[in-house]
Amino acid sequence: MTEEPYRWVEAVANRREYIETKLASGSPIAAVGYRDGILFVTLGRTRQKVYEIYDRIAMGAIGHPGDIERLRMAAIELASTEGFTRSAADVSLRRLAYYSLSPVLKAGFEQIYGAPYLARMLFAEIGDKPEDDLFLRVEYDGAIATNGATFSETRQDFGALSGTRAATELMESFLKREHKPDGSLRSALKTGLEAWTVGHIGSSDDGARELPGKEAIAARLQEQLTGSGIEGAILERDARRAIRYRALADDEVKALTAR
Amino acid sequence: MDLPSTALSCGFSGGVDDFAGLLRRKGFLPAAPGVPMAAAPGSEAIPQTQATTILAFKFQGGVLVAGDRRATAGNTVVYDRADKVLEIDRHSIMAIAGVPATAWEMARVLEHSFQFFRRTQLQEMSVDGKVRALSKLLRDNFGFVMQGVGIVVPIFATYDAGADPAARLYFYDAMGANFEVTDFAATGSGSPAVRGILYYENNWGKKPLLEMEQDEAVTVALRALDTAAESDTATGGVDRNARIFPVIKIVSQAGITTLPDKQIGALFKRSVA
Repeated sequence: MTEEPYRWVEAVANRREYIETKLASGSPIAAVGYRDGILFVTLGRTRQKVYEIYDRIAMGAIGHPGDIERLRMAAIELASTEGFTRSAADVSLRRLAYYSLSPVLKAGFEQIYGAPYLARMLFAEIGDKPEDDLFLRVEYDGAIATNGATFSETRQDFGALSGTRAATELMESFLKREHKPDGSLRSALKTGLEAWTVGHIGSSDDGARELPGKEAIAARLQEQLTGSGIEGAILERDARRAIRYRALADDEVKALTAR
Repeated sequence: MDLPSTALSCGFSGGVDDFAGLLRRKGFLPAAPGVPMAAAPGSEAIPQTQATTILAFKFQGGVLVAGDRRATAGNTVVYDRADKVLEIDRHSIMAIAGVPATAWEMARVLEHSFQFFRRTQLQEMSVDGKVRALSKLLRDNFGFVMQGVGIVVPIFATYDAGADPAARLYFYDAMGANFEVTDFAATGSGSPAVRGILYYENNWGKKPLLEMEQDEAVTVALRALDTAAESDTATGGVDRNARIFPVIKIVSQAGITTLPDKQIGALFKRSVA
């Protein structure tokens, strides 16, 4: 079937459609920079979705638990062996994503007789200064989106991930407008949760292409919070510590979201 | 490209081995030779030096671990600022006597093992697991020991936040057996003298070690190290001229505290010198 090139293209396109359908219902994840670090936030019922990868690297992912697990384990193994054989300072998210994960994901996606990875990941690496913070979204086909500056865009201090491309774009335009990089953890959590809600509206309400209003966001967040819990984790900029990752405890989140 | 891992290639990661196993699989950790039935010819002639003094004991504020700073090769002092009391994680200390190259590598493997476990398994390794992990590293290293190189005899101190929260202290032999101690432990060439002092202090001193306050405990540690240095050339004790003091760290519920040189110096001046 796939000896002919156009069949291969067709097969890959089908695969893309299949994976997108599978991922569409994933709960969004927002990563936002604040004064003292980077906050990852999402809503969920049971499964943990934000993970520690190495001293300064965290990952959030949506997709099939088995595939997320394989990729998470690979990322930890790579970072750990690099950190052991060289030094923690030599572990770099950029290299991890571009040189190790991306090629594997691309191969898995295009070798159409095998199963692709049903996962989409959002990584962040905390730098010494906020300008050095790196956010990367790694797609199931190995494509990578960064927060880096381009000729026409300024650097962004956030990253977003959701089930559909449209919802992710919606989250990004929301964060571009609302996110203040120099804020407190409390305000970062508020913005992060609102960005999550924008992503949720974007991926569940068919055809939501416009940014919802403040009231709509607040109402949807309230509605979702009745059935889900807030999962938060931070990468701290505290240079005295080697390990910067810390999951936020439930009561900490409660205290931060209380009015 | 360096193909990442078994996790990717065989598609199963639930049962990944420990970090040392991962390093061995990737060729980053040399496998020790098998343990021969008899010692390698001539190995008796190679001195199995554990030239140092490490001591640790429990006091009111947790476990105090102290080590001198001297590193020797035979009769030569090669370094006078060696740190043999190593932090493995926020609550664990490994203090080493033996061959530095092996010991420091072991500490590095151990440190990464605990983190690797937490990151992959999404839970902290238990105290028993940590104690056992060091045991296994020593056992795996025993082939080198039998060849006359690479002996390490460590002390391990950690805080157990489990069902019975307490600071815990263990010592090991070169084959990897671990022993939990209730009062004190010492290792290295200067340890016989230290063991005598700690035993004496604990039984007939002003008060048992366990009831001592921090300043009293540090004083005992400094006096013990100074005594060890008096007769053991491989122990640095306190360098009065260059003002090089032993490394003293305390493990407690709050984590690890490293005593600043200034504080040790003041205590030394007041109650030892």
